[in-house]
Amino acid sequence: MTALRQAGLILLIAVGLAGVTAAVHPKRPPFLAPPRDPNEVTLAQTKPWAGNILWVDARSESEFAAEHIPDAVCLNFENWNEQFPKFLDRYSPGQRVVVYCSAISCQLSREIAAKLKASGVDGTYFLEGGWEAWKQQNHP
Amino acid sequence: MEAAEPPMSPVTQSMANRPILRIGRLLLRLAIAALFLFAAITKLVDPSSFAQQIANYQLTPWPATAVLSVFLPALELCVGISLLLGRWEGGALVWVAILLTIFSGALLSAIVRGLSIDCGCFGRSIENTGTLWPLIRNLALLVVTGFLWFSRNKK
Repeated sequence: MTALRQAGLILLIAVGLAGVTAAVHPKRPPFLAPPRDPNEVTLAQTKPWAGNILWVDARSESEFAAEHIPDAVCLNFENWNEQFPKFLDRYSPGQRVVVYCSAISCQLSREIAAKLKASGVDGTYFLEGGWEAWKQQNHP
Repeated sequence: MEAAEPPMSPVTQSMANRPILRIGRLLLRLAIAALFLFAAITKLVDPSSFAQQIANYQLTPWPATAVLSVFLPALELCVGISLLLGRWEGGALVWVAILLTIFSGALLSAIVRGLSIDCGCFGRSIENTGTLWPLIRNLALLVVTGFLWFSRNKK
């Protein structure tokens, strides 16, 4: 049997296995739209928290340097060890922490928010639409 | 009348004369099998979480991302089992090369766009591996895959 034919058979088996996973796996993803997380907030939802929000920018440092929400802290996976202590210096208990990344398709803010929660930072949320949503609303 | 045997490549001829090369080849094949099986299992444990990691690359719309989150681990699992058992090795190596090329392209695009994301290569089992080292590892694995391809027994 040629390698290409073998590759075709492997593909068929993988498609079957993926189908079973998609049908019965308890942790299968939703297939039509990204899952809605209770920690996801819209810009409108953050309005009542004005003055008590610590914004966290989960994008890269170069994107952060280019432009960011005023007074935001740059914190992502790559600079976590270096920036997390600085974040703690700025954070005060009871404050809302809202993490954002670049756009609605970006899931990074969700992950950084989860990591902050796991590190004991309560009241952590992530922004729907991220930086693009904020920019659109503040500088249309 | 006997059928003519396919000609051996220079690499295969060299290996036929050197058992140490045959053993080295077997170990490399098993190492790639183990790597793909580990990658598949860590992703299959939580496809939802893997879907989020794919979404971080911002390359595909959500429905395609969700499909990839169940399809890629399934393919990696099949490839890993095939290489482990030494069956359909040629076909499995074709997929190893295709997958490593696609993964490398995604990693490179993330680096070019300055995205600060986790590779997602092994689900959540190994966090914060960045993108540069996984790219270098993938390119090294592509070289190994090339060696396995050209030295395989085509009979």
